[in-house]
Amino acid sequence: MCKVWNETVLALLRVGGLLAAFIGVAWAQAPAPYRDMDLPMPDYEPHVRGDMRLSKTYPYWRDRSRLDWRLAGDPEENWKLNWKFMDPPFNQSVHGGHFALERGEALYKTLNRDGRFAACLGAGRAGLKGLRTRFPQYRQDLGRVAGLEAVIEHCAAAQGEVLQNGSYDNSAVSLYIASHSQGMPIRIDVSRGPLKEAYERGRQLYHTKAGRLNFACSSCHTRNIGQLVRGSRITTPYGDVTHYPVYRTQYFLQSLHLRMMECNLDTGVQPLLPGSQAYTDLEVFLTALSNGYPVSVPAERN
Amino acid sequence: MRPLVLGGICLCLAGAAQAADWPADAAVDPNAQNRTLTPRVVVNSGRLEWEPHKRDLTPWPTLSHLDRRATPRPQQANYNPPLRGDPARGREIAMDPARGNCIACHTLPGESWPGSVGQLLLGYKQRGVSDAYVYQQIYDRRVTNPNTVMPPFGTLGVLSDQEIRDLTAYVQSLE
Repeated sequence: MCKVWNETVLALLRVGGLLAAFIGVAWAQAPAPYRDMDLPMPDYEPHVRGDMRLSKTYPYWRDRSRLDWRLAGDPEENWKLNWKFMDPPFNQSVHGGHFALERGEALYKTLNRDGRFAACLGAGRAGLKGLRTRFPQYRQDLGRVAGLEAVIEHCAAAQGEVLQNGSYDNSAVSLYIASHSQGMPIRIDVSRGPLKEAYERGRQLYHTKAGRLNFACSSCHTRNIGQLVRGSRITTPYGDVTHYPVYRTQYFLQSLHLRMMECNLDTGVQPLLPGSQAYTDLEVFLTALSNGYPVSVPAERN
Repeated sequence: MRPLVLGGICLCLAGAAQAADWPADAAVDPNAQNRTLTPRVVVNSGRLEWEPHKRDLTPWPTLSHLDRRATPRPQQANYNPPLRGDPARGREIAMDPARGNCIACHTLPGESWPGSVGQLLLGYKQRGVSDAYVYQQIYDRRVTNPNTVMPPFGTLGVLSDQEIRDLTAYVQSLE
């Protein structure tokens, strides 16, 4: 009797399993679940000058080498500089980012002994020069859009090395690669193809509310720029990615995706893994808002 | 036979349970304290380490494209008078980062490092607004303003009925 019962249960479970798989497929095709959207969405421009229609602080931080010292020294006013007073060349101090850069150089040279690593990254005849300004990009080998750190992880793995996305060593190599684009403007084309699709998804995600407190990125960084949150002034999303990976004086080295995890944790949203599609879409959106703004590393942030 | 059956249940339900909960690309360890993980960067290491976060954030929707859970829609509060709220307890909740944390966005008396995102709450005592209205604003402000930035503390289960009553009493006491 018990055996029959067990077999019946097993049979039912098999059917249940099929049903679950079926539901899984249905789920994948079901319309997106309900989300609150932070609306209206402003008319974002995939170029740093678009800030002139959002926070209008761009003239204050357009040229990092010529920031207004008086604004930088005033805690009530320094948000208008979009924290660029912690970027080189305005900030010439030596900090943990410089040690990371040295580590990144050593790792890169070991990885690239035979030139295969650079080739995998997509470095052409110009070598590493300008490479950082073309990420995120669509990768044939991955079949998707990927940021520089995801590609570093992928290309290191091809040589049997573990450089996990978000790890110190991965970010150090990213920093070293970025240093070869020092002063060169970000240049990604989001007007067509997979990058356009990622940009559009990122733009939507930026305005999608989530988590315990139902906040979107834009709830603060579009809707309330210049306002105070627990004593801190909120800054613009324009021109914000060109100093990553960044040395955090409280946190060592931080890639952009780890920064997004921190943003999520701070606002009560369950974070995603570095390299996840949602973070990559947000990276494409934010990087497009830095188009035309020069890379500057190693930078510091509090 | 029994362990096999149990194993079968686990296998069969694994897909459904995963989809009903957090998405596969969330930084979660189901066996860790609070489940939600926070990254820890280890100097001179190619591996990212993880630590338990101070709070379990898995019950609420994430930004993942794989997340199939819906955000609860705007909800009318089921408020029953009398208020029975304690303004002193309400003030504690308003200042506590783990509970109301109202001070992060609102300027409130007797506290430094306030916020300026939220509406000015000073003078509510003189405004003559009903308790039911204030309760609803804290419970779920989306009902009266669909584009509000304010979290729906009641609908999302962040604050309890009594905590919202205490906060209502506190806001109504502000000169």
